[in-house]
Amino acid sequence: MTAPPEPGNRVALFHCMVLMRRFEEEVLRIAQDHPYVGRQHLHIGHEATGAGVVSALEAGDLFHTNHRNHGYLIARGADPGRALAEIMGRKDGLNGGLGGPWHLCDRSAGFQSTSAMVGGSVGLAVGAAFGLKTQGSKAISVTHFGDGTLDEGICYEALNLASLLALPVLFLCENNAKEGQRPSSMLAAKVLHDVPDALQIRSMVVDGRDADAVAATAAEAVAHVRGGSGPVFLQADLERWPGSHQTTPEFPTGVTDLSLAWEEDRIEGPHAEWVRDHDGLRAYAKKLLADGTLSQDQVLEIDRGVLAGIKEARAFAEASPYPDPSRLLDNVFA
Amino acid sequence: MTRKTYAEALIDALVERAGEDENFAMIGRGILGHGAQAHFAEPLMEKYGHRVTDPPTAEGAVASLGIGAAMAGTPMFLHFGTASFAMEAFNQIIHEAGVAHSMSGGQIKVPIVFHMFHGLRRGGSGQHSLSPQSMFANNPGLHLMMPTTPGDVKGMLRAALKSDTPTLFIDHAALLGTEGEVPDGPYEIPLGEAAIRREGKDVTIVATSRAVLWAEAAADRLAGDGIDAEVVDPRSVVPLDTETIVGSIRKTGRLVCVEEGIQMCSIGSEIAALAAEQAFSSLKAPVVRVARPPAPVPFSPPLEEAMMPGPERIIAAVKTVMG
Ligand SMILES: Cc1ncc(C[n+]2csc(CCOP(=O)(O)OP(=O)(O)O)c2C)c(N)n1
Ligand SMILES: [Mg+2]
Repeated sequence: MTAPPEPGNRVALFHCMVLMRRFEEEVLRIAQDHPYVGRQHLHIGHEATGAGVVSALEAGDLFHTNHRNHGYLIARGADPGRALAEIMGRKDGLNGGLGGPWHLCDRSAGFQSTSAMVGGSVGLAVGAAFGLKTQGSKAISVTHFGDGTLDEGICYEALNLASLLALPVLFLCENNAKEGQRPSSMLAAKVLHDVPDALQIRSMVVDGRDADAVAATAAEAVAHVRGGSGPVFLQADLERWPGSHQTTPEFPTGVTDLSLAWEEDRIEGPHAEWVRDHDGLRAYAKKLLADGTLSQDQVLEIDRGVLAGIKEARAFAEASPYPDPSRLLDNVFA
Repeated sequence: MTRKTYAEALIDALVERAGEDENFAMIGRGILGHGAQAHFAEPLMEKYGHRVTDPPTAEGAVASLGIGAAMAGTPMFLHFGTASFAMEAFNQIIHEAGVAHSMSGGQIKVPIVFHMFHGLRRGGSGQHSLSPQSMFANNPGLHLMMPTTPGDVKGMLRAALKSDTPTLFIDHAALLGTEGEVPDGPYEIPLGEAAIRREGKDVTIVATSRAVLWAEAAADRLAGDGIDAEVVDPRSVVPLDTETIVGSIRKTGRLVCVEEGIQMCSIGSEIAALAAEQAFSSLKAPVVRVARPPAPVPFSPPLEEAMMPGPERIIAAVKTVMG
């Protein structure tokens, strides 16, 4: 269990990003070893956005995730061992093995649920904001979703409601659209934030690969929402990781090698461009080295610590048994 | 006759229809899903890809688009992908497509086929495993077809595509790779005609979609125990071939209903009611239904497995009715 990064603590932010990356790489290895784990939507390449936004939140804020959910749970302190156990359908998983990789849920880390219905989390987040406002709470509601989610009608209805009722909700749009490439969005609006703009929702755009920029912009967005000024639509522009919709578990860009932050001539392979120009994790390591925040040894040290933790998490998950089929009806009704 | 996969037979029907009617239009992404059989859609996409619209992820609006186009005179084939996604369009299907013909006093026709994959798919969890057939059957004005074999899917899809009544065509992705004999050229399997998959005298097993394969496997094994089971596949749920089903129950005097949907208000419930209404005096034992337990589908493999109305559960049910 790692606490979410605090505002201004750039080393903690980097640590969180490494943890998110190594966790997802382990998920890919698990899917190779246990084919039933199936199709994955990994958060690789979104770490700067995820960790940056999480660093701006408080513990009581309620988060709503979609199919690409793992990174957020890990960043907000969900136990990696229990998260991996859930992805493997085991008894000690966060949801007791009943949710699986698309539906990780940890209420103690502020997650309501994970909806894999495109648009589901957007509507729920508006509802949570309504609940929090009604309760007089200072907490806010957050939802992350992709550009493609704006294809769904529920987004327009939910954004409209949030604006009309000035609800405390942060709409975090992870924009990994790629011209001419499916899936992801098919929007007539070429500028995503034109949609919230038309509904009088304050919008902000940030380079989602730049952790410092995301942390600063998210802090401003969260302050606006928490201050009672209504919703914010934060558009984080990303360059889609080449494995983000693959159906078989491969490492298209290779297992992450953080020494590529300083040995750039070793970057090669069919997706070298993504690694060189678009991987927010490598970029942040490079930046922290350049401004003297971390040394090469410290970067590798952080990585080693994270990897040791992930190894333990995997062992915990593997050791956990499947739940007993008699548990099937346990939680159907509350 | 040619031996081919279910996936190829399904595509054959679309290719034939597209060749005959230049107004016929299709909308949806990945008509054969994203699995090992996806490539069988190539003949359709090569020849008629320009008539297949790739839509945004907007099931509700896409359904309305299809329904409106059909009303305007364009016969439509609409593919939703997983049946769970069709729930985003439930209102449009039941309150627009289903009621239009009657509510307009017979003026409006809605020639549309709604295609989707239902059921347990391993790892689909609670939001990608829906079997909505009885929910749809519980609404007026909609035909509902659930093929099982390659020969049936081609002929049934053709009948659905030529019908002026909106039709739910509910497939199971696990059937796509199965093989069978398929007649060459166009042919129709009329709505409301059940198929007796296996004749028997001791017990009637009525099963739909993939559950037919499980019922057949169970019947094979029961034969080893000296139990002669008849397997009836209704093929179309609306309209339902009550004559064939009731005839079989009268003959055997015993009924087991099998399906992937949840038992409450299921297709099996309807068949059991039919038995009570029309074959009561022939029944030698209480009816048994084998269906999905009333819980969201769990991810964990042994729990999902326990949900399946597979051969083991069918055999146990048959042994119960045999006494
Ligand atoms: C209602 C519904 N329709 C379709 C799908 C299938 N689906 C899963 S992910 C996805 C694309 C989502 O794109 P985006 O929101 O941009 O997220 P990304 O995967 O790019 O992060 C689609 C269409 C679904 N899960 N739910
Ligand atoms: Mg996207």
